[in-house]
Amino acid sequence: MAERVVLTVGTKKGLFVAEAGTSRRKFSLRGPFGSGVSVYSATIDQRSSPRIYASSCNAFFGMKVLVSTDLGKKFKTTKSAPAFPEGDGRALANIWSIEPGDNKKELWCGVEPAALFHSDDYGNSWEMVSSISNHPHSRQWHPGAGGLCMHTIVRDGNRIHLGISTGGHYVSEDGGASFHASNNGVGAGFVPDPYPEFGQCVHKIARHPDRPQRLYMQNHGGWEDRPGIGVLRSDDQGRSWTSIADGLPSDFGFPIVVHPQKPDTVYVVPLEPSTRTCPGGAPAVWRSENGGDSWKRRTAGFPKKDSFFTVLRDAMTIDETKSPALYLGTTTGQLWIGRDGGEQWECLYDSLPPINCVKAAVV
Amino acid sequence: MTIAVRIPEALRAYSGVAGEICLPANSVSAALDALREHYPDLYGSICDETGAIRRHINLFVNRELIARQDCRCANFKLNSGDVLTIWTAVSGG
Repeated sequence: MAERVVLTVGTKKGLFVAEAGTSRRKFSLRGPFGSGVSVYSATIDQRSSPRIYASSCNAFFGMKVLVSTDLGKKFKTTKSAPAFPEGDGRALANIWSIEPGDNKKELWCGVEPAALFHSDDYGNSWEMVSSISNHPHSRQWHPGAGGLCMHTIVRDGNRIHLGISTGGHYVSEDGGASFHASNNGVGAGFVPDPYPEFGQCVHKIARHPDRPQRLYMQNHGGWEDRPGIGVLRSDDQGRSWTSIADGLPSDFGFPIVVHPQKPDTVYVVPLEPSTRTCPGGAPAVWRSENGGDSWKRRTAGFPKKDSFFTVLRDAMTIDETKSPALYLGTTTGQLWIGRDGGEQWECLYDSLPPINCVKAAVV
Repeated sequence: MTIAVRIPEALRAYSGVAGEICLPANSVSAALDALREHYPDLYGSICDETGAIRRHINLFVNRELIARQDCRCANFKLNSGDVLTIWTAVSGG
């Protein structure tokens, strides 16, 4: 069968799956799955026969993990969702990240309130990872507007990077047995100490697998008195971070995405800090081709005015075709494709429910 | 002593449990413990990991709403034939 591009679109009203040939000229849409329930995280796991996992975050009845073994034609729930152990005192409020582990049955899951879970059986049972979930800092983390969430899990062998809002960036060098805060250069605009040891409102962390020592971070920026802390880069596996926000119209934003073939090419969506919407009502994705040293505004196909959408932390992604396309979902229910690495934008769907997350895979 | 537990429609679909189940329990707290043991998915939809009743769930014994803080009180007795109704307020836009 010819290769296909599959998108998962997690929305406030369930999960949608869009599919197209690798030309990406025409997509077909199916769903919603987990109807009526918010989906904050999905992953398309291609380590063996493709599986799609998605969180199903029911505000009324609790959390589930959805799984599909037929590329999103139908879903069922796994046998259990992550749950805090008896006596812990915390209760699961949301599932923010699901990431594949090393072996095909292994999954990692970041949740709200911020904690990490691990599964060795395709998500049918989960065990809390105490090293970070009960880290001495953990009871001092605070929720941001989205909740106290562990939203980013980036793995490189035994090294695991975590992004927590608001907790900061934590790293394990031993496969999760221990974690330490690693926020040298990561600022915070909402506490007296501009560069605290931990407690930053990290929005997203990304890296290219071929250059694991380099990481990019969209941090909570937009502070007039602490400029430039919102978009950062690390060249030493997250030990230290420096600003790459110079040239952007705002250092506030949520997602940050790396080109699949070019580790120096990175994308952000700057937003007005006060409204979390496109500056001037004119949407733009900004692309750097030199690791954030300079930025170019890409707007072709977007409205020129009167457009005030928001793109959340997991709502932009890029596929891995030879000429990758970006995908961007908005809280006003639009799904956009940015062909040719974000050169030309087109709205694929304009009336979906509010979009939380978008993932892409070539299968 | 047997009581009946009535499950609302929205929760039936979510938990995979039929509309009414019977179980032995002499208090609301004991009924919740029995649900946890025999219907863990249903229980997980009513209570979180701490045992607290979820925010949008209300419990009624016959027609009486039970105050949330009393749901776990072992002294809130049930009598044979009582009906414990789980009611959900699925609201929002």
